[in-house]
Amino acid sequence: MTSAQEFLKNLKETPRNLRESMLRVGHAPETDRERSQSTFHNLFLHLQSVRTHRASLRFSYTFGLGLILTASFAVLTVTGILLMVYYKPSTDLAYQSLKDIHYVVPAGRFIRNIHRWAAHLMAAAVFLHMARVFYTGSYKHPREFNWLVGLALLVMTLGLSFTGYLLPWDQLAYWAITIGANIANSPREVTDALGITKWFDVGGFQKQLLLGANYVGQEALIRFYVLHVAVLPLAITAFMGIHFWRVRKDGGLSRDVTAPAVPAQIAGRDLNVFAPTKTYGLMAVVRGRTPVVGRAPEGSVPSWPHLLWAEMAALMFTVALTLVLGYFSDAPLKEMANPAIPENPAKAPWYFLGLQELVSYSAFMGGVGIPSIVLIGLGLIPYLDRDPRGVGKWFGGPEGRGVFWRSLLFGLLSVLALLTFTVNFGWLRSWFPQIPQLFIIALNPGTVIVAVYMAWSLWVLRRSQSVRMSAVALFTCFLAGFVVLTAMGSIFRGPNWHFYWWPSQWPVH
Amino acid sequence: MKPSSDPSRTYKWATLVCAVVAVGFLFAAAVRENISADWRRYQANYKKILLAKATDDTARRTAERFPIEIRQVTVPTLGAVDRCVSCHNGIDDPRMASEANPYKTHPKGLLKIHPVERFGCTVCHQGQGAALNFQEAKAEDYFWDYPLLPASLTEATCNSCHDPDALPPGAAAKLVRGKKLYFEKGCASCHKLDGKGGSLGPALDNVGLKTKHQFMRAQLQGSQTVWNWMAEHFRDPAKIVPASLMPAPALTELDTQALTVYMLSLRQREIPSEYLARDKIEEKYARLHPGEPDGKTLYQQYCASCHDTGLFTRWDKKFGRFVPGIRNSAFLKTEEDECLLETVREGRPGTRMPGWGPKAGGLTEKELSAVLGYLRTSAPFQDLPPAPERGSAERGKVLFNHECAGCHGTDGKGLIAPALANPVFQKAASDAFIAQTIRLGRENTPMPAFGRAGISEQEIGDVLAYLRQWEPKGPPAQRAGR
Amino acid sequence: MHEEPSRRRDFLGLAAIWSSALAMGAAIAGMLRLPKPAVLPGPLRVFKLGDPAQFAVGSVTKLEAANLLLFRDEKGFHAISSVCTHLGCIVAHNEGEGFACPCHGSRYNEDGAVIAGPAPTGLPWLEISLSPDGQLEVNAESQVNRGTIFRA
Repeated sequence: MTSAQEFLKNLKETPRNLRESMLRVGHAPETDRERSQSTFHNLFLHLQSVRTHRASLRFSYTFGLGLILTASFAVLTVTGILLMVYYKPSTDLAYQSLKDIHYVVPAGRFIRNIHRWAAHLMAAAVFLHMARVFYTGSYKHPREFNWLVGLALLVMTLGLSFTGYLLPWDQLAYWAITIGANIANSPREVTDALGITKWFDVGGFQKQLLLGANYVGQEALIRFYVLHVAVLPLAITAFMGIHFWRVRKDGGLSRDVTAPAVPAQIAGRDLNVFAPTKTYGLMAVVRGRTPVVGRAPEGSVPSWPHLLWAEMAALMFTVALTLVLGYFSDAPLKEMANPAIPENPAKAPWYFLGLQELVSYSAFMGGVGIPSIVLIGLGLIPYLDRDPRGVGKWFGGPEGRGVFWRSLLFGLLSVLALLTFTVNFGWLRSWFPQIPQLFIIALNPGTVIVAVYMAWSLWVLRRSQSVRMSAVALFTCFLAGFVVLTAMGSIFRGPNWHFYWWPSQWPVH
Repeated sequence: MKPSSDPSRTYKWATLVCAVVAVGFLFAAAVRENISADWRRYQANYKKILLAKATDDTARRTAERFPIEIRQVTVPTLGAVDRCVSCHNGIDDPRMASEANPYKTHPKGLLKIHPVERFGCTVCHQGQGAALNFQEAKAEDYFWDYPLLPASLTEATCNSCHDPDALPPGAAAKLVRGKKLYFEKGCASCHKLDGKGGSLGPALDNVGLKTKHQFMRAQLQGSQTVWNWMAEHFRDPAKIVPASLMPAPALTELDTQALTVYMLSLRQREIPSEYLARDKIEEKYARLHPGEPDGKTLYQQYCASCHDTGLFTRWDKKFGRFVPGIRNSAFLKTEEDECLLETVREGRPGTRMPGWGPKAGGLTEKELSAVLGYLRTSAPFQDLPPAPERGSAERGKVLFNHECAGCHGTDGKGLIAPALANPVFQKAASDAFIAQTIRLGRENTPMPAFGRAGISEQEIGDVLAYLRQWEPKGPPAQRAGR
Repeated sequence: MHEEPSRRRDFLGLAAIWSSALAMGAAIAGMLRLPKPAVLPGPLRVFKLGDPAQFAVGSVTKLEAANLLLFRDEKGFHAISSVCTHLGCIVAHNEGEGFACPCHGSRYNEDGAVIAGPAPTGLPWLEISLSPDGQLEVNAESQVNRGTIFRA
């Protein structure tokens, strides 16, 4: 073969060779071995293990929440980059650029709606995902640290939502962020009451860090923009990487190791393989009967295609859901921000409205104190509850189920009773107008409900003699409180933060 | 592999269903945006009209080439990006005069003098220029601060660049009428405009730029627009703003509209000077350099709302007290010029009477003198007989509580009659003035002539001593001794 | 190798894959439309210049905002763009000598035809028309053949 012939032959075969070089195997995998290899040898696929346990694929165990979170983040990234093409982060231009996106940018309005709905979906899913992980005991050894990574992701998700809220520069944005920034300022409530603000002004420091000024203006907008499009997305991507990697390293999704094993199937035949602790090491190359280690033969299936199908379903579900919601419901855009006209009521995004309800009692406790207590408490859970039993079972079994329902009832009733009382009779300041602020900070409906929940959890601890049950009780109570307070802030609070049964009763103001 | 044993079966179904839904909605969204938009239909129709009207080949070719696309007028100097022309395609084409909206030519040939590419649309009409459908361009009950002005009120924006009074006769008739009404009806008695006017009501300088959120709309029925608020408010102020002091100005429907137009026209928007008509610049100059003031006109504009003709004391229901008749000759005979001027300049703290001096109501010293001159037309000041020596305050107190407190209030706080403890009264009124008023009373008011009822000069001196106990502390008032 | 009965792909899986691919394709097609603006920002490139009678015969009017020159001679009007066809610099007009580009030395004669330098084509002549309200109108986005004279 002359060199010229060889050149021509190579040129002719370039498309095929290009494809093969791209896929490494050269064609879609057909055997288990090839499937393993394709997972193994693919940058994106190798994040997941080669084989997936059947229990991990059970929809009723995970509800696909982690996948939905990942998918909604992907949707947010793509739509967010597209929106950046037209968005101008300037107080003079931002609002007009949003109007342009709404009216004349091709597909702009739809893409913005999808971005908005995907953000809602992500916020909702992150709470549900945490609840799922908690109730199935999946934070326990060896997954304690990944629970912490998850908490960081929760905070960053909310941070992304919050920073994105300002960007439209409309009335909604302006006043919600004004409130948010003043919550950051609220440690002054304490330092002022103690008279130490002059030396130790953490509140003012936080506010200035956030806004770059003492009002919401151009400096704040550019800071929020940078956080929203660069800092937080990069950070959340990095943490997601760690989160996934730890999921794999910590043995995949948690599951009930005491459950009777389902025999593994390859090619429709039951077979026993030994149960590895590191599934990725087993490239499905081992055939025939193998020594069984321990009592749990692996009930696993190849990740390709089974896990991929679950991922595909979650992605398409997220896409379809955001498309449908975005088609029917426009993302809000109110009048352009006007510092002279306060929104009434000025409401933050829904997932902050529970906090906003607490903030209406005490800015410091509601905005800083209680959230910190909750976050620290959540972070401590896996280190306080080290009982390895009950992992992979909802509520850890029938006893936990009972505790859950009782705690749910208790949590709902106590927060509803407290709110009813507060709405009807007011609180300390309505009775003693001269009361010092420190009293209100220490004793307000927010701190009362936290104390009541803690007392309940201690009572459960004493009765059940189980840290796990006590944790279930506390978590459930807080969940109930969160839901009720969020509903209170979203639906039942109107102008001047007065109570109304329904927004249609709001007076014109 | 049997399908029943396929662990991914549910996920495959889920994927399939979601993908089909996604495709469906993507398709629907594409149709909604690219085919069924209103402006496309209007432009297609406009093209047909153009073709039908084409008389020669050039016109036909232009019509055939008429592209269906989003159109907008961008005027960077005015900050306008107005897409109204996406539907109003024939707005500056005289051939479209007889077509229906939105193809119709702008009426009255106004675009000849206000070319659309130089002015845009929203600078005159308001509304949301960015929008591409009528409802959102009109933007009533929408999240937009300045909805489209109804055709009957569009004249309001003429005031941004024109002096209404310099416009050709018949142009912006409502605006001209509204401006006239504002001064005729004495609105300036209570409202400030360009720093001139009373302070009982809010200043109106930028009332045309206020948004509906800046008005109390709890009692407003019907359309929640600023102009509906104003019209309803002119019909019955107290119905819209409970406890409002403003009297109903008793206007015809047309005048209500005219005054609404004038209110909406009050806006100090920064408009580049190349857009301002010459007369607007002159109007601004004239405001800074007013000509010879006319006392009677000033009285009509700033005083008559409360004092009416000023010849009689008037009972005001809303104030709950008598408003003094300041052109009453009995009063003027006893009141020195300086004292009158002082009261007009400083007002009467504690009463509804505001100050009208340059620092308060914005009248110049020249104008104040003109007002004084007008007041003096009913009676010149006559020299007063001297006041008796101040006597015993204790005796005076007994006498005051017995004879005067019924109207002037215990401790001189004022009931239906003026508050005598008022610091400006104490400063402005001389002993001689007070003594003479006690002696002769005040014609056409409930103040009786105590002199005729047999009060002695000594008793007057006692009362004087008691009254002067309310004199504000500090440096002794100049006229106290006279 | 292994006996793999799953070589015949299941219909459900295929349908799911292809419909997902269709959805993704449609979504990407929609998203790719976004960066191309539907309406260009900035003022309209059609310039109304007022009554044709106000331009004296033999006059040359330079419109800086529009980057064009309007020529009025005995025969009528023509407008020449002053944007160099090479790489978009603004050419200078010297009466009687033609146009010269400061960037890379392209030169054009009075009619806008290239006489020197790297410019690939002559300066475009722009379409002139009479607007419906009787004003001279130059459309800077629309070219006409060199030598087209507009008679008012």
